[in-house]
Amino acid sequence: MDNQVEARKFIVPIGPQHPALKEPGHFEFSVEGEVVTGASVRLGYVHRGIEKAAESRNWTQNLYLFERICGICSHVHATALTLGVEKLANLQVPPRAQAIRTLMGELERIHSHLLWLGVAAHEGGFDTLFMYSWRDRETVMDLLESISGNRVHYSANIIGGVKFDIDDQRKDAILRGMDFLEPRTRHYLDVVTGDRTFIARTRGIGGMTREQAELLGAVGPTARASGVTRDVRVDSPYAAYPDFPVNVVTDEGGDLAARFVVRIKELFETYRLVREILAKLPPGELAVRALRRVPAGETVSRVEAPRGELFYFLKSAGADKPDRVKVRTPSLCNWATVTQVAVGHKLADMPMLLSGIDPCFSCNDRLVRVNRGRDSELMSWEALRRYGIEYYQK
Amino acid sequence: MFFPGGLFVIAAGLVYEWIDRKLVARLQNRVGPRWFQPLADLVKLLAKEEITPEGVNRSLFYLLPVVALAAALCTALYIPMAGFAPSYSFRGDLIVALYMLSVLTICMGVAGANTLDRFSLLGATRTLTQMFSYEAPFLLALLGPAIAAGSWQINEINAYAHAHPWDILVFQVFGLAVALVGTMGKLELPPFDAPEAETEIVAGAMTEYSGRGYALFRLGKNVELIIALTLVASFYLGGISNPLDFLLKTLGLLLIMAVLQSLFARLRIDQTVGLWWRLGALLALVNILVVFFIRMKGIHL
Repeated sequence: MDNQVEARKFIVPIGPQHPALKEPGHFEFSVEGEVVTGASVRLGYVHRGIEKAAESRNWTQNLYLFERICGICSHVHATALTLGVEKLANLQVPPRAQAIRTLMGELERIHSHLLWLGVAAHEGGFDTLFMYSWRDRETVMDLLESISGNRVHYSANIIGGVKFDIDDQRKDAILRGMDFLEPRTRHYLDVVTGDRTFIARTRGIGGMTREQAELLGAVGPTARASGVTRDVRVDSPYAAYPDFPVNVVTDEGGDLAARFVVRIKELFETYRLVREILAKLPPGELAVRALRRVPAGETVSRVEAPRGELFYFLKSAGADKPDRVKVRTPSLCNWATVTQVAVGHKLADMPMLLSGIDPCFSCNDRLVRVNRGRDSELMSWEALRRYGIEYYQK
Repeated sequence: MFFPGGLFVIAAGLVYEWIDRKLVARLQNRVGPRWFQPLADLVKLLAKEEITPEGVNRSLFYLLPVVALAAALCTALYIPMAGFAPSYSFRGDLIVALYMLSVLTICMGVAGANTLDRFSLLGATRTLTQMFSYEAPFLLALLGPAIAAGSWQINEINAYAHAHPWDILVFQVFGLAVALVGTMGKLELPPFDAPEAETEIVAGAMTEYSGRGYALFRLGKNVELIIALTLVASFYLGGISNPLDFLLKTLGLLLIMAVLQSLFARLRIDQTVGLWWRLGALLALVNILVVFFIRMKGIHL
């Protein structure tokens, strides 16, 4: 992902270390005065080799490893992996476990969307909204901690079920939390649709038509803000979503304002869903016993992360370790939309535009291409394997 | 020397910076800094190593912060600081004071343009652009009371405002708004902080400054905060006659400024320019016309 920017232009570099970016990524904006005439992205600063590391760990260990791909949407990564492995192993997971998985996923969506709201407001210089939305986010963080004991990596999933049960006391606490958050969220919706200075920074900025969104392969709220009805929870329901259907929230605006509206309206849908799951929590076991070895086979597992479609490809050779795991995170799909719509906007809009897709850098760094003068070459998987074996034999 | 001299102005600047930060923090539901934080920042910055970036004019790089602070401190000589008579006063000192106030902004712009850093250059462009947008309305707004008083001498305007407080406050309420918001533009406070928007251009014109130079620029801004608040209070809020008067009026203005700071999203630089020339300049002109009219008819409340 290294588009060449023409030389001899005034280029403003943002990143890999920059106050606007809390995670490393490098962006080059060529500008004329304040107007952006070109944009390019370079990723890969936090490539951690997780896919390779997975091949030397067993499935249970991998559950913990993959949860650590992302610090915000950790639960959906573990869910995608367990759903895939359960499909390979042909396990029938109890409905209560599926419902609790879904519940955790939705609570995580609340915390992720509120976090994004604060970050995006901060990029636009609206620190008051940042501070208030993060204060309210603590409610759901406390709930997640009281359920799982952890604020970030909940480790709720195990292969074949979940670890934690939701008893009546926790149910009440979650419902109280939802009752607190709903009016607060309504207030934030009023702010982002009613505050004149805020609208001046979001309306008509980064506009993307439905055709563009489909062409560039946008996913998640970014696509839904352009009117694309694309949501894995609806298109191919997983876990408990067949029993608890979701209404897709879309907006025709296509601009930054629409992305704010879509994410905030999704929060209301999530509150409704959490209440419904708690009201109709199916009784039963929390997990079924899973074998260490997973039968040989290949499968694809898709879930809807807060940022969009999260895609897992799993290949097992029948051992207790995976043969290959491939992860594609939603942030990677959405980058093209940023570089496309950036041109013609003001430099001052760039931070908000970047954060508008809710990027997660460490999630999407799967591959690095190091250009070291003329030494650069691309290797096939077989060639790389041979090279590795020969390198260590020397 | 100390009271109400230069050291007092600096100390008051630090205290007012703390009050401003604390108020904004409380409005944003944060805890905010402790009372000595601005002083601690200053001491720390002064003690730090100063890095001279490559490609700058060295003498300009070291001179500009000093000139900026000196200009700000000189302005303090002409205003009724803390309610005492100004140290120096002559016919037309208002014009001198207003130009001296702009020296800090110009110094920051030149300091940004002096370095090769791209964030500094963009910041310098924005700083100067912003100056050209708020400066004219700000000047016009401060001229309103001067015309009403029939004098260009700060001391006399202060005395006139003290004698006829309601005349100015009621007839020139637009002028008060423009002057107060103009102060925020001058000090690059939110929502007019596009020149130093940290999410876009790091620290704007100040990006390459570290240590002493940065400390002096910040101190200059603190001094300007005090001066601008004193000027607005003495012109529009019925003059300043004693230290208690000074405290109440300037702190009241600071509170309004803190609320305004936490209420809005940052304006883009083109929005700032548009706002000032479309609305700010218009309000200031209306204000001046009202002042002329009232002076011709000799209306008093």
